[in-house]
Amino acid sequence: MSCRATELRFVLSRSADDKFSVSVGTTAEAQALAEQLRISGAWIDVVAGINSVGVQFDPLRIDATTARERIQAVIAEGVVTEPLAGACVEVPVIYGGDAGPDLDDVARRTSMSPEELVALHTGREYVVEMVGFTPGFAFVGGLDSRLRIPRRSEPRQRVPAGSVAIADGRTGLYAVASPGGWNLVGRTPITLFDPTADEPFLLRAGMRVRFKAIDA
Amino acid sequence: MTLTIVKPGLQTSIQAGPRRGLRHQGIPANGAADPLSLALANRLVGNAWNAAAIEATLLGPTLRFSELCTFAMVGAPLRATLDGAAVALHETVTAIPGEVLEMDSMEAGARTYLAVAGGLDITEVLGSASTNLQAGFGGYNGRQLLAGDELGFCGRSVEHCSTPEEFRAPMSSSWGLRTCESSETGLLSDEARELLFSSNWCVDRRADRMGLRLDGVTLEIQSDGRMPSAAVFPGTIQCPEDGAPYILSVDAGTVGGYPRVAEVARLDRHLLGQLRPGDRARLLSRDPDDALEELRAKHEYWRPWLEDIEGII
Repeated sequence: MSCRATELRFVLSRSADDKFSVSVGTTAEAQALAEQLRISGAWIDVVAGINSVGVQFDPLRIDATTARERIQAVIAEGVVTEPLAGACVEVPVIYGGDAGPDLDDVARRTSMSPEELVALHTGREYVVEMVGFTPGFAFVGGLDSRLRIPRRSEPRQRVPAGSVAIADGRTGLYAVASPGGWNLVGRTPITLFDPTADEPFLLRAGMRVRFKAIDA
Repeated sequence: MTLTIVKPGLQTSIQAGPRRGLRHQGIPANGAADPLSLALANRLVGNAWNAAAIEATLLGPTLRFSELCTFAMVGAPLRATLDGAAVALHETVTAIPGEVLEMDSMEAGARTYLAVAGGLDITEVLGSASTNLQAGFGGYNGRQLLAGDELGFCGRSVEHCSTPEEFRAPMSSSWGLRTCESSETGLLSDEARELLFSSNWCVDRRADRMGLRLDGVTLEIQSDGRMPSAAVFPGTIQCPEDGAPYILSVDAGTVGGYPRVAEVARLDRHLLGQLRPGDRARLLSRDPDDALEELRAKHEYWRPWLEDIEGII
């Protein structure tokens, strides 16, 4: 069911009676394509993954052939990846202790002291690659390769809202409490998701962020 | 005017229509796990199909009406009494002030909807009155209903109405879900792909608004557990490394890292809210375009009674 898209890197396929999936090269491309598809309208939901985009269409409004052609047209226009304009968002983080119960373990596994780990984590600017999984969960890319460790083998039943965690080369921000398997290094006291606010989410894909260590 | 929860039942929450267009921010659909039954209940009391209603799961709640109230129940069959007198599903019932409605356990199916004429007084959050139980927003204080909760409603009198026989969706303990192949179907071995669509699966104890695990044969899948997270939807069937398929339902997260081996077609997703632990389920293989033809036929069937059917299923 696959067909070659105009851009050779992008492969478009039918993934359900009312869905298409596009595999792309990078997370930034997935975000950019998803955003361009949303702007083009006519979709129920457009959701970017790490290296793919899922598109749900309403088959009662457009038939599958038309939906396919419209997605191909957006791909053919070219997908532009650019970080969002705007200032870098500073996220204050209480590292270690109850706020980051896995900090010492992660430090040990990466052969550094907890202080070195915090210095490394706060020492650079990152980009929010993707939001999703749970409401407002932010996948933040660009983690120093020395901090690249897998998820915990035993996920936690409940990770508190505001938790700052690392796994698989990314920092994850838990906007709401949920089960989770990432390594918890700290917690931010700021509200990442307020469903009743005009702008419910503090972070969006493409935003630049920096973490700042604060005292508990 | 209020309706007071006396006993909450097993898992009772306020649900309405789904949240749409917000999945890229991690906001799931939520809403009635069986939107067809929700619509049928609202239809009887003259509400919009997606008006906020009470969704009961397996064991219904007991509630007291403070004022005259016309309501209707639709979904999984159960014994219900109003001040001791039996009341039926699929028709309007009027309670007088002080009367108590007791909803017992469901005989087949998993969810029954109670809609109130005029609708429940629930504020919409992110486009819907539905409860998001995981993140705790929407519905009644973002949580399932508990004893003592008081729900406001704007009572309205409506004429007696009952669902015509041909529109009383049957309940079962053995379901067929029309299902299409998906992005990672190819990771299944040939034999596993055949088994996925031919097995008579058993719905596991782990069956809720997040999803349903299917027990049966173990599917052989090529997966190292490191698939990059990708978009998932209600109806997506994932196959983790343990080889047991898991059907995502209305409250499931928006991206997932397990292979997506199939998708329940749109026309049968409303059934996911009625599968209960121990039920049997077959995944009936469909070509995606054939599934859409069947969706249109299903809409034609329901349209004489539910004019908004295209928005419902």
